[in-house]
Formats: sequence, C-alpha cells, structure tokens
Amino acid sequence: MTNPGGLTAPPTAEDRQLWEEQGYLFLEQAMVGADLARLQTAFNRAATDCKPDWLQGIANGTKPAAHFDIPNPFERDDVFIDLIDYPSWYPYLLDFAGGKLLLLGPQVRTLPAQPISYVNWHPDVPQTNPLHMKVQIYIEDVPEDGGAFAFVPGSHKPGVGDCPQPIPLSAMPGHKLFPGKAGDAILFNSYGWHTSMVNSTQRPRKSIILIYEKWSPGKIPSDRFAAFEDQLTTTSRRKLFSLEPMTSSA
Amino acid sequence: MIDAHVHVLAKESAEFPRLITDQTPADFEAPVEQLLADMESAGFEQANLIQSGGSEIEHHRYLQHCLKTYPDRFRGIGRIADPQHPEQQMDHLAETGGIVGFRLSHIGGPRDPLTPMDVRSFSSYPIWKHAAAKDYVIWLFPKAAENHCIPFLMEAFPELTVVYNHMAFCPADGLADSMGDTKAELPIPPETRYNTMGLYQYPNVCVVLSGQYSFSRQAYPYTDLGPWHNNLLRTFKADHLLWGTDSPWILPEPGYGRSALLIDELMPGVSPTDRALIMGGTAEIRLFRR
Repeated sequence: MTNPGGLTAPPTAEDRQLWEEQGYLFLEQAMVGADLARLQTAFNRAATDCKPDWLQGIANGTKPAAHFDIPNPFERDDVFIDLIDYPSWYPYLLDFAGGKLLLLGPQVRTLPAQPISYVNWHPDVPQTNPLHMKVQIYIEDVPEDGGAFAFVPGSHKPGVGDCPQPIPLSAMPGHKLFPGKAGDAILFNSYGWHTSMVNSTQRPRKSIILIYEKWSPGKIPSDRFAAFEDQLTTTSRRKLFSLEPMTSSA
Repeated sequence: MIDAHVHVLAKESAEFPRLITDQTPADFEAPVEQLLADMESAGFEQANLIQSGGSEIEHHRYLQHCLKTYPDRFRGIGRIADPQHPEQQMDHLAETGGIVGFRLSHIGGPRDPLTPMDVRSFSSYPIWKHAAAKDYVIWLFPKAAENHCIPFLMEAFPELTVVYNHMAFCPADGLADSMGDTKAELPIPPETRYNTMGLYQYPNVCVVLSGQYSFSRQAYPYTDLGPWHNNLLRTFKADHLLWGTDSPWILPEPGYGRSALLIDELMPGVSPTDRALIMGGTAEIRLFRR
C-alpha cells in the first residue's frame, strides 16, 4: 500500500494534546485511491465468501445476527495484514504506546441495519488494563443514522465514574458522533465510553476495527499470528504481531 | 408467588382434543390438579398456563376448562392457527376468559439480517398488529434465525407487551416449540443477545426465567446460567423479569420443588424486593391485572 500524502508524520503537539484531552483522533481520508479500492474489493469478496456460513451459524444459534465478522481475515487477503501498520495511523499508535505496541486482532465487520444498537455505551477495558486503542476504518460512507461510531470525549480519563446508560443512546451527554466517508478512520482510546449508534438506513455499515494495546509481558502467545510469518518480515512487524519479544529498546 | 410458564395437558379425548406427538402421546397427561398440588407444596398461588397440544381453537379446550374452573388461579396464553388471519381466533379465545396473550415462534421475516426489513411483509405481522390494538401479550420464543426481526416489530409497536420465553434463548431451527426434555446445546450466553438485550429500551419487553434444564450444560442447579440470569437482571430490571418452571417437563428432573428454588441458587445476591418481583410481582402486574 502507498502512503496518503500528508498523513504519515508522527503526531504533532496538537494531535498529542487532542489525544490526551479528548481520547480520540479523527483521521479524515486516512485511506484513499487505489489502497481504498483494494481494501473494498477484498472486504466485499470475503463477505460474499463467508456469508453462507454466517447465515447457517445464525440459524444454528452459534453466530450473532447483529454483526457479521469475517473469520480469519489475515488468511483471506494480505490487504488485511497491511492494514495493521498502515502509515496513516500506525505512527500515532506507536507513539501513544511509547514505542511498544501489540496487535490484539482485527474485526472485519458488517453491521446490519437495526432499530436498536447491538451494544450500549461502554469502555472496552478498565483503567487498570494497559493502554488499549482501536482504529475504526469506514469502508463505505457512513451517515449519522447509519450506525456511526460515537465517543464521549474525555471519558477515557481516570476518575470519570461509571459509564451512564441513557435511553436512547443519543441522550448520552457530551458525546460526539462520527459520520464519515469511505476511507475515514477514528483512532480512540478504549478506556473511553463509546458505542455504535443506531443504523436506521436499511443499508448495512461496513467497517474494520483494528485492536491494539501497549505491550505487556505474556499478553499474546508468540504463535498467535505465526501462520502469517512469511508476511511479517520486518523486525517492527514481527514485534507488532508478537512473533518476537519486545525489548526495552523496542 | 406466580409460576409464569407452565403447561397443562389432558389425555387426548373428544372432550379435550389435541395433537398427538412423540413428546405427548395420546395417553400423556399433565393435569391441572397435579399442577395445583405442586404449586401448593412449593408456595405458588397462581400460574400462567401456556397452551400445548395444538393451535386450533378446539385444541384450547383443556386450557379453557382450567381457566374457567380456577379463574382466580390462572391466566392463559393461547396459540394461533392462521397467522395471516388471526384476529377472529385471538378475540374468540380472549373473550372466553383468562387468555391474555398468544405464543409466537414463527416470525416470517427475512432470515438474512442484511436484507432491508419491512415488518408489513412479515407473515406474523397481522398478529402483532392485532395484539397491539387489543393489548394482548405476545409470548415470544423466536427461532435464532428470525430473532433479528423482533426489534423492527418493537419499533412498529413500541408499547406492546412482549415476553421472551426461556431466558431469551432462541432455539436453532431443529428444536421444537415445546422443548420437553430436549437439550438445546446453544452457546451461553446466547449469540442472539446482541439483538435482544437492547430491547430493554421498550417499556414492556420482559423475559421469563425458565427452561434452565434445556439450555444449561450442567446438572441442577445449572450454575453455568447464573451470570446470564444476573445479566438479564441488570439489563431488564426485576420489574421486567418473571419466573417460570416450565412444568411438566421439569417434573422428572429436577422436580417442581427444586425448580422453584432455582432463583436462590442462580441469583444469590438478588435483593428481597427484586426477588419478590421476579417470583410473582411482575407477573401479577403484567398478566393478572389486565
């Protein structure tokens, strides 16, 4: 994949301040052009291939109908591996993790339209967990009422208390909604309160969620991503995918 | 206390005709007198009788007999033979006394969740529409393949009283509507929860805590279902939860008395107020005061 112009610099002081104060960065058009087209093609092909198994799993009660995740995306197309250290977001993640970043996994997700969201407002992890970050990349345009991501700025900070559960979701005080274009991405601190808003468009939302964490010993087994070792040839990638141990100079 | 989910069956006869199945052969019976004795020994005063034995009007005769004989002890949930034209049957059964709602398993909506949804095209839509118009309860046990259709129906009829059966587990295609001694073998918690838990936002969506014997992977007291019970309590709150034994299917194991003790086994931290709601208060409000 190529680098979109102007998006590859490490975080500026302004970016870092926004990240620390608000807990998110909106990366407008983080992926464009041929890279985005390649990703869209791979996403749609994988979704077509996997849909019959998903529908059967729903009927068997073994898969959720509320979201359709492509299983084992790294096995399906290298484009999904290339996303993990894509230059539009990777420098930010690496910087915020103090240079020690682990991949936990991807979610290649289609979200059916529903009058209710599949998930309430929530943080993903408690503050006692190592810094946990996600990047959500929109594969197609996502309007405000199309299951857009939403986040409460500042809710990632210690001492904010329990996450409220307002009815409806849109009643959450101070939340910020993130409609976007295909190729937009949101990087957020998963200590913060977030949700997927209602998708009332009758059109499924397509996005990819990449999940990372600041390194801590023993978090990911060294064989978790070993099947893709031939794609993970650089030292930085091998550490990111837990194939090599992190060192103090990582 | 109120047992919100039980079945009664008479032997098949001209007086009480019903379907004959492997689970309920012609000489099988679960008489109301036995239920009353079990209830008394376990401390239950009232119960909600769920129609078994068929969906035609004549199949309801034993249920109607029980409701007529013991009008202060029971309420009933009927079934519908023709979902496309349900109004006459629903009204007829309700007007004979005691039947406050109707059990529904087949929704008739798209099985592909990515399909655009129009509830008016669902085959069960006339049932929902008439239930909303007449304030009948929908006693709901949808297949997993159709559970994603329910939020669209709630959006269309947001005030409707809908009671999910059996802890809001939704069976796979092969499982019968009446589970009997069937083991459902579904994941715990159920994958269908992503389309179900958000329904707490509608004011009258409730859940019956019943059917543990079928959905647990363990023997009594089915402790693998404890976290799920408490999740339902946190999400729906006690005034939307009801308790049911699913008698007679639990009579061989674990027995009526031990079923009635399950809430204390699975929800040991429940407050006395919440316990009272789950064990009868919610059913009193939602079923008996209609």
